[in-house]
Amino acid sequence: MQQATQTGKEIFSLINTIDAISPDCSLEDVAAFFSHPKYSKLLSLPVVEEGHPVGMISRYRFMDIYLKRYARELHGKRPIRKFINGKPLLVELDQPLAVAARHVLANMQFPLTEDFIVTQGGRYLGVGFVMDLLHAMEQQMRANTMELEQANSQLKSSQLALVQSEKMASLGQMVAGIAHEINTPLGYVQNNVAIGQELFQQVQSMIAGYEALVDDLLDEQATEGQIAAQMQQIAEKRADANVQEMLGEMQGLMEDSLYGIAQISELVLNLKNFSRMDAAATEAVNLNECIESALNIGRNVLKDRVEVIKELGDIPKISCAPSQLNQVFLNLFTNAAQAMEGPGKLHIKTWSSESAVHISVADNGKGIPEEILTRIFDPFFTTKPVGEGTGLGLAITHQIIQKHGGEIHVDSRVGEGTCFHIRLPIVTSILMHQPAASEAAT
Amino acid sequence: MSKPTLLLIDDEERILRSLRMLFFSGYKVHMTTDPQEAIRILRDERVHVIVSDQRMPLMQGSELLGLAREASPATMRILLTGYSDLDASIASVNEGEVFRYLMKPWDAEEVKKVVAEAAAIAEASFAVQLHVDVPVDAASSKPRVLIMDNDESTAKTVHETLSDRCEIIWASDAQHAMEELAKQDVSVVVSDLTLGETNVGYILKTIKQLNPQTQCIVVTSFNDTSRLIELINQAQITRFLPKPVSKNLLVRNLESMLERFHAVRNQPALQNRQAVAPISDPQEKIQAGNFLGMLGRLRARMGA
Repeated sequence: MQQATQTGKEIFSLINTIDAISPDCSLEDVAAFFSHPKYSKLLSLPVVEEGHPVGMISRYRFMDIYLKRYARELHGKRPIRKFINGKPLLVELDQPLAVAARHVLANMQFPLTEDFIVTQGGRYLGVGFVMDLLHAMEQQMRANTMELEQANSQLKSSQLALVQSEKMASLGQMVAGIAHEINTPLGYVQNNVAIGQELFQQVQSMIAGYEALVDDLLDEQATEGQIAAQMQQIAEKRADANVQEMLGEMQGLMEDSLYGIAQISELVLNLKNFSRMDAAATEAVNLNECIESALNIGRNVLKDRVEVIKELGDIPKISCAPSQLNQVFLNLFTNAAQAMEGPGKLHIKTWSSESAVHISVADNGKGIPEEILTRIFDPFFTTKPVGEGTGLGLAITHQIIQKHGGEIHVDSRVGEGTCFHIRLPIVTSILMHQPAASEAAT
Repeated sequence: MSKPTLLLIDDEERILRSLRMLFFSGYKVHMTTDPQEAIRILRDERVHVIVSDQRMPLMQGSELLGLAREASPATMRILLTGYSDLDASIASVNEGEVFRYLMKPWDAEEVKKVVAEAAAIAEASFAVQLHVDVPVDAASSKPRVLIMDNDESTAKTVHETLSDRCEIIWASDAQHAMEELAKQDVSVVVSDLTLGETNVGYILKTIKQLNPQTQCIVVTSFNDTSRLIELINQAQITRFLPKPVSKNLLVRNLESMLERFHAVRNQPALQNRQAVAPISDPQEKIQAGNFLGMLGRLRARMGA
């Protein structure tokens, strides 16, 4: 309904209300019309009988007849019915502008001698100028183009936002996992320090006791009684603190603490390596390193139940964006882990051919049904419950590999597992001059 | 009294060594990385407190605590974890029925305090039998079930199945809930986490302070892990059911909480097993204080 009124309006604005002439008008009458200043701009006059348009008489056609010798005398009184173009250009009011324009353009004559008649339900409404119609059409096209451009830029920015949200989603998962990994050593290190602090105070107080005893012993004026009291005090302290045993235990806790701190440092280093925040966007990298880095980060998802089998071959460095490839590998590893309901195996292999480096990531998880296998790289395609996956992980993976001039393929059998195979050219005509979409978003 | 017994389970031995050192002077400490071994210890010996990690390769902590509940019901259960995902915290309520949900890294003094509190409670509950079938006294008044939910459907479900046995009250705002609480204590509360604009966390916490025998079931579509952990520690909610919840699940849990209420009422020694931690959020503390104050005035007026 809305659409119909809108389109009706488009044509309506083109209508020029011009009194139509009857087919019974004489050529002389028409001559009078055409020479009238009011009609000076008209190319043609509409001819209407009983409300319905029956034709058009153009200035051009009229002159063709009337300029002939004696034409005025011969034909002046005759009705124009015989002279008119009986098939004028008709446009129904409620037609969309584009349809009307197409119709008019397809049927108009060159040189342009006639305009078109606007009708409503077949009845005459007025005359529309072809030039106006083309002008309106052009304006509409310009508006459409602008709209398209706007939509396009909106799409682009929402795509960036989505890529970003996928990054955040996988980041969130990763951070939660790493928080756990850090919280465990942090837990015992902090506790050990607290215990150490308490023990330190006890030791301090005991040393003070011993020192006082030594002072008493060296003091010639100290009485036996004083010394005995001091010794008694020390003995009491020793009895309730059991410092010797605690010191022995503390030795072990100190070692544990150093180990824990080393673990935390390693995690932080892994994070740094993974994000490559301090490295150039593009550099020559051995992909085995990226795989190790992603495995370190993904350890939390994998370690409990997934056995990782690595067959990392001797492969040449390739020029690439390591942070993006890290993202690709982490995505493949976590997907694989999620595909395995119980314990499983993750087989990672790298090798090189003459022109390319190959990586395969195979799991023995539940596999991907054939009917969705072709869709897994599609943006927004996900098998996870709403809110758990953005459906962009593999789409971004695909995009990153493509941008590196490589290919990614998938092979899967339900119940047996899935294998992703990535091929990256050694010499890349890498499309990295422009920051990748995901980079630009950060 | 001899030293209470403490059982520690974590897949990281360094955590165990560290914790043992924290407790060795006051407790008899057992520690293991193997959940099966833990269950064996629980069967063989009277253990006051079990402290378990959540994420372990052989078994999740919440599951282990669920098994511990069967093997040694009187033992107080504490989860100590560095990983707070929602599923784990829900399982720790529903399966593990934990006394406290503590986070790694922990505060040594706080953990000591919590374990000491738990050990004392366990010691008291060894003396009473936890599961006795107490016939519900027909003469005593019907148990009251308070449902705090904007959505009527929960109340409807409960009404359909339990209205012959319980008095069921549906409150869709905090004011109404308070009036009902002022009239008389309730046996079981079934609550969402928001009521209109109100975040009901403080109400649940206050109810538990008011009457430790009241059992709290949370039925909600909210999934905020940190809020849930707070409710475990500070309101001792005994069930957390994510919405939409099936009728059977709701009724089954409600029935078991009604039984729990009877058991606790008949053996008040048990009510300490659900002792709550102090409210940590300063704003909630104020809200809870006001709520208690208003409730007190209402009760005084009704009594007069």
